[in-house]
Amino acid sequence: MAEEKSQASSSKMLTLKASDGVLFEVELNIAKEMKTVQAYIDDCEDIETIPIPNVLGKHLAIVIEYIKKTNEEYDAEFEKQWNMDDLQLLLLAANYLNISGLQECLCKAIAKRIENKSPEYVRKVFNIENDHSPEEEAKLRKEYKWAFEGVDKD
Amino acid sequence: MKRGTKKRIKEKNEDRFSCLPDYVLLHILSFFDIKEAIQTCILSTRWKNLWKILPTLTLISSQFATFEAFTKFISKILSLRDASASLDVLDFQCEGRMDPRELKRILTYAISHSVKRLRIDVNFDIQQFLPSLFSCHTLTSLHLSIYESPRPITLFPNSLNLPAVTTLALNGFLFCVGDDGRVDPFSKFDKLDTLMIYGACEVRDNKLNLCISSTTLVNLTIRTNYSAAGGIRFQLYTPNLCTFVYHGHIPFQKLCGINSNLSSIKHVLLDMTIGVGMWSNPKDNPLLLLHLLDELANVESLTISHRTLKVLSLVPYLLEIEFTSLYNLKSLKVDGKFITEGMLYFLLQNAPSAKVILY
Repeated sequence: MAEEKSQASSSKMLTLKASDGVLFEVELNIAKEMKTVQAYIDDCEDIETIPIPNVLGKHLAIVIEYIKKTNEEYDAEFEKQWNMDDLQLLLLAANYLNISGLQECLCKAIAKRIENKSPEYVRKVFNIENDHSPEEEAKLRKEYKWAFEGVDKD
Repeated sequence: MKRGTKKRIKEKNEDRFSCLPDYVLLHILSFFDIKEAIQTCILSTRWKNLWKILPTLTLISSQFATFEAFTKFISKILSLRDASASLDVLDFQCEGRMDPRELKRILTYAISHSVKRLRIDVNFDIQQFLPSLFSCHTLTSLHLSIYESPRPITLFPNSLNLPAVTTLALNGFLFCVGDDGRVDPFSKFDKLDTLMIYGACEVRDNKLNLCISSTTLVNLTIRTNYSAAGGIRFQLYTPNLCTFVYHGHIPFQKLCGINSNLSSIKHVLLDMTIGVGMWSNPKDNPLLLLHLLDELANVESLTISHRTLKVLSLVPYLLEIEFTSLYNLKSLKVDGKFITEGMLYFLLQNAPSAKVILY
């Protein structure tokens, strides 16, 4: 029924090793959605275990599940399950692994959660250190007064 | 409170964004309201000038209290934005009368900054601005929507030279005759693969057909109003068309052009109406739906709206009519509430193993 060729290539398994040592066996065509992994495979064809040093097992599991299940419906519900911490770490993972669909989904989700929030809130949530001097910040607020109208005070 | 004089030990909660490259931060910013994107300049020195290279701009007049505020805002952005940063996407929506010179300014800016995707949604005649699009070789997607009541007056130029455009969506245009005596405005788009004609479009001389000639066209969506009066008569010369979505009145004549056919079309959505009772035209005849289905003989997946089913239900003695079309059908999607066994049998008679999906 299904083309034999794709059956053969999709049944080849690959092992991904997360930063905390957790191992994941995935089909080749799933792994190839991660362009970073694809590049690894292109460089060394016989590789069986690929180290993913920047991503915890917990997040790699989520990423793999996303690749398997992604569609419009799934993507719409996907981000609702994760807190901000996880969303950020997932974005770092998606960026490192170079998965454009997941990156898009996460960027959109993060943007949605911080829209209409004050700069103070955003800094807190992402641990951004405000390295503007007080004078610089005051100057910016004045210069961009026209863009600051109507902001939520959290 | 956060900023002390002591040197802080790097906590495990470091700035997560410090590991992400600028383009990812810009990706997040691209989902923001433009005002909020600008506000991020306050966050830290890294964010100070990031908004200035944001490659997408969405400007919506209804988000501002007055037009003056809107135009002032646009002025500021255009002058503060990084002059060397290209603008990939411009989405401009303006309700109400604005000074057309403002639109010209923004258009000129976008074109000179290599805009790729352009959407303009306004309610005034933009005739005078269309020539500035002629020399835009970076444009790949163009969406022009003009709400003018009661009837469209902006003429769609027959000689728009946009060599890179692959997607074109038009609402509220008048199509007119070209040099060859035909109304055939899309033939010169060498890369066009997706075309949408919707809302209040008309042909200026409504005795003429609107020809859609394109060897590259793969996706066509027609969404016209449901009344036949003044409706466009389409003639398709699209040998590679694959997906066809058609909302509107049942066509009174064949859709395919002379010496042409619709055999390449694989996926169809039909949402058709017919004039009934006092709204009917002497030409209204539910059999026209069957003629349309005959033209779409090769279709593999067909979605039919409840409106279309209503038309089908008006065909007298449906099951006694000879029907040889839809023999390649693999899937049929219909409204479960309105479909009858008889209609299902009729539609599937030449492809009994087709999958039926009820929605």
